[in-house]
Amino acid sequence: MSVGFIGAGQLAFALARGFTAAGVLAAHKITASSPDTDLPTVSGLRKMGVNFTVSNKDTVKSSDVLFLAVKPPIIPFILEEVGPDIEARHIVVSCAAGVTISSIEKKLSTFCPTPKVIRCMTNTPVIVREGATVYATGTHADVEDGKLLEQLMASVGFCTEVEEDLIDAVTGLSGSGPAYAFTALDALADGGVKMGLPRRLAVRLGAQALLGAAKMLLESEQHPGQLKDHVCSPGGATIHALHFLESGGFRSLLINAVEASCIRTRELQHLADQEKISPAAIKKTLLDKVKLESPSLSVASASKVSLFTNRSKKN
Amino acid sequence: GKVPASNILASAPSDKNLDAWRELGCRTTHCNLEVVHRSTLVFLATKPHILPGVLEEIRPAVGSHHIVVSLVAGVTIQTLQRLLPPWTKVLRIMPNLPCVVQAGAMVFSRGSNAGDEEAALLKSLLSSCGLCEEVPESYIDIHTGLSGSGVAYVYLFAEALAEGAVKMGMPGALASRIAAQTLLGAAKMLLETGEHPAKLRGDVCTPGGTTIYALHQLEKGALRATVMDAVEAATNRACDMAKD
Repeated sequence: MSVGFIGAGQLAFALARGFTAAGVLAAHKITASSPDTDLPTVSGLRKMGVNFTVSNKDTVKSSDVLFLAVKPPIIPFILEEVGPDIEARHIVVSCAAGVTISSIEKKLSTFCPTPKVIRCMTNTPVIVREGATVYATGTHADVEDGKLLEQLMASVGFCTEVEEDLIDAVTGLSGSGPAYAFTALDALADGGVKMGLPRRLAVRLGAQALLGAAKMLLESEQHPGQLKDHVCSPGGATIHALHFLESGGFRSLLINAVEASCIRTRELQHLADQEKISPAAIKKTLLDKVKLESPSLSVASASKVSLFTNRSKKN
Repeated sequence: GKVPASNILASAPSDKNLDAWRELGCRTTHCNLEVVHRSTLVFLATKPHILPGVLEEIRPAVGSHHIVVSLVAGVTIQTLQRLLPPWTKVLRIMPNLPCVVQAGAMVFSRGSNAGDEEAALLKSLLSSCGLCEEVPESYIDIHTGLSGSGVAYVYLFAEALAEGAVKMGMPGALASRIAAQTLLGAAKMLLETGEHPAKLRGDVCTPGGTTIYALHQLEKGALRATVMDAVEAATNRACDMAKD
């Protein structure tokens, strides 16, 4: 089986690294393409032994499973470009936040009557094989196609099938989740430093604490509330600290964050669906602007259409 | 039904409250010494500032057969033992209001001369009023913050629940009764299933449903921290008052 990535950025790199480390795929069976050869991930992919090309069409031709690993607003243009090369054998896997299966099927149906489309939401820790992935199968994707993807993604972490309408919520939770964790870890390390620990040690200990806690929870039948109780001896240090967290509305902040990310994903999808820009007109300019990341969507403007995505994939 | 009313003798300086006792079939008197002479188990239920005087009064009559149980807030076992004869079996108890409806929560501690027999007697007697547990004396002030005063927190919560319902259009009386029943039912489930409250909470929360939306509001209001603050404040106040 050969795998292709349209896009050679953080996601493609993370998945390629994960698959090869897991041994499910040899690097030479992976192709990645991007018009931008300056991305640092490009050299990373090359070093891994992945076939790199500037031609998206080449990637499609040499792949069975084709990952669309570009930012959401680019998806329509990619589909236009490679649509003619998509065959019934291809499994097209979109990892783009907020991009619906129906929008992809619609675009591809002009080229291929029964495109196999799977929508997937993963996250960056696939790079260390601790990803969290969900997928939903499209109209023409069979059970085996889903299982094939599941096998691939399970090699780099947790993977399960869901109904498509849950994917935005997953984006908010585990898609963006690593960013919440990094923020928390940074702050925890600051706390450690404040109380006298050297920075590197503080970071290491903080990360290990979260890793350990997560592992305990995953391996336990118990509710996180119970596990928390086990750490809190009466009148002890931990319960004092937790009181501070509660006073600061820690829990509600996290709920707010997941909600905001999910809502924003839906918003972006909604905006994308309304997009009225003629693909031919701005395609070349857009591809030139692949490197630019501006946080605002300007539907009217033909020159700047890059959207802010919920997973930060900055170089 | 643990003790026949005729075996209970209560004393008070005036008749103000004694009618209620007589109605239950208890005997009453105005003489504290009489209570001590005629009883083995003596409950001290005065206000804190009255107690020292009462103890001085009954001290001569207290013997080694007596079991003295203090319900007086803020008066430590050390103080009680200081003001009573050295052989006295002393126990200190902190009840809460719902003892009145046999759904109380009580904790008690024993003094130096009180043994297993006395503790067992007290526990068996008081279990008729609700939950009764022996604890180290240091927990008694915490019990005040959690459950003594805690009853008031629940009343506040019940009132607020009902107000929310009234705002949404339900008549007040109905809302109040439903609020109370909700608290009763939830508490019963907690006590009977022995499950962790977080788990029971999760069980009620269907994905994207009404409960999780409401809980989010409670978290935004930092309800948990506020409740922790309340328990802490009451406990600290109990400690401070005990020192006076």
